[in-house]
Amino acid sequence: MRSNEYPQEILQSLEDYNIDIKDFIPGHGGGAKLLLNFNKIIGVDQVEGIILKGREIPNGIVADIIIKEGTRHEEPVHLCFGVNKETGTQEIFPRIIAEDNTDVKVQAHCSFPKANGLIHKMFGHFYIGKNCNFNYSETHYHGENSGALVAPVGYMYIGENSVFENNFNLTQGTPGKVKIMIDIYAMQNSIIRSNIKAYGKSKRDSIRIRDSVFLEGENARSVIKMKAAARDGGEVLMYGITEGNAPHCNGHVECSEIVLGKGSICRARPFIRAIDPTSSVSHEASLGRFPQKWLDELMAKGLTEDEATEILIEAMLKE
Amino acid sequence: MNMLLELKNVTIPTLDQKCVIVNNISFGVKEGSIHAVIGPNGSGKSTLAYTIMGLDSYRISQGKIYFDGIDITNMSLTERAKLGITLAWQEPARIDGLTVFKYIALGIKDKGNLQEKVKEALRTVNLEPERYYNRIIDETLSGGERKRVELAAAIAMRPKLIILDEPDSGLDMIVIEDFLNIFNKIKALNMTILLITHREDIGMVADYGTLLWRGDALLTDEFPRVMVRYCAKAGLKEFCKRALFKNGGKCFDDEYIDKIFREEGLS
Repeated sequence: MRSNEYPQEILQSLEDYNIDIKDFIPGHGGGAKLLLNFNKIIGVDQVEGIILKGREIPNGIVADIIIKEGTRHEEPVHLCFGVNKETGTQEIFPRIIAEDNTDVKVQAHCSFPKANGLIHKMFGHFYIGKNCNFNYSETHYHGENSGALVAPVGYMYIGENSVFENNFNLTQGTPGKVKIMIDIYAMQNSIIRSNIKAYGKSKRDSIRIRDSVFLEGENARSVIKMKAAARDGGEVLMYGITEGNAPHCNGHVECSEIVLGKGSICRARPFIRAIDPTSSVSHEASLGRFPQKWLDELMAKGLTEDEATEILIEAMLKE
Repeated sequence: MNMLLELKNVTIPTLDQKCVIVNNISFGVKEGSIHAVIGPNGSGKSTLAYTIMGLDSYRISQGKIYFDGIDITNMSLTERAKLGITLAWQEPARIDGLTVFKYIALGIKDKGNLQEKVKEALRTVNLEPERYYNRIIDETLSGGERKRVELAAAIAMRPKLIILDEPDSGLDMIVIEDFLNIFNKIKALNMTILLITHREDIGMVADYGTLLWRGDALLTDEFPRVMVRYCAKAGLKEFCKRALFKNGGKCFDDEYIDKIFREEGLS
């Protein structure tokens, strides 16, 4: 792939997430890559042990990512699903299979810098085998016009003794309308960590996230952490769901949301259920404003209340 | 020396205005000095500190506060900070996600050469910049480390006045010795310190002091004299004779101490 074919505007937003753009460009760095511009595959890099295959369909692509048994890679697999136009529909059907005893990271970036009526949908299926260490991070940038409708759905099966970490970050730019649904099924002795962060910045921003973990295997453990802020009429609704369906499993859901300005709404709905008497599931939620003492401490350094709040939101969503 | 801070007939009520915490007090803090406000628990010291800083929940019901000749009585917390007042908190918060660098840099007005300014502030409080620069201000910092970072953030602002609210709380003796040296370093940087404490060994670093007793300012004078009066009010003559040393020498002979105690009606 030649350098002038890179959709630089799509990649540019990575810098706001402190991610190196170069890593996403085919031919650079050591990781596997799949780069998409709207519904066209414009670059694929394969590495040993990782099969990456994409097929274009009328409104998007189907992509298979297969990590062969025993594969371990320090360099992440980079996926970039970008659209550099205002409107259109992009549908992505990724199927990710990590075979047994694998250790990989996947860094996905969905960037729609000019979105103004754009629709992005994703239907992802993840199958993570036994004894795996799988880290999936997804960052989103939907431009500055609140003009995207984004609806990803993910079904994830996590095998015995595997560790699965999911990081979803939508804190840069303006989200637009976002509906995310993630179902994670955790098998015996598996460990799930799911971290979701989102920031709605205007009344045109509406974010609904449902993150569910079903602890299906004995001694499976999970922590869902959801952090959000809504300002100037933005709306965020977070469902953190955990079911303890197996002996000695243990899950926790944590929601922290900050509301700023009139008309902004943050809602947290933890839903926890335990059907095995030896399981344990807990939740905690805090909504509203930051403690006054934190604000006072920053204001004593010369910041206004708004500036102090912005710093604290940035810190909360970075953590 | 000029008066940097002046309180004139200041009364501070509780938030519901039903009780008085600090009652009609007046004193001044000289520019370039270390001035300790000393008194027992519950005498209104921290309330006074927060009121001078301008926290919303601490407002005066009568009197005036002047800073550098300007009436700041009705100024907000942010306005006072911009004018050159800051406060290092007794128990500073831990804010996950904020690095030591970012926290200290927040109050630096001139952002030029920012990294070096932050490092310099860390060195002043005896923290190695390389070890702390990128640390997160969370539970992994000990109480002493967090207090030093707070002090570094205050110093980095280059304010005219730093209010230190019980800087010794939760620290062991060796660390306290180090903190006393840091206070002298701050003074050498031409900043004035208003030190809130209830401990005589911390207060002895001060040039001047004010004794706050049940909401009243009983005395403002050179600190050792204020300390003798404090001991007399508390009925601690032996402690007074044993503890009041400065620069290796005894501050007062026993006769002077006996006289002050007699004035308080104690033999």
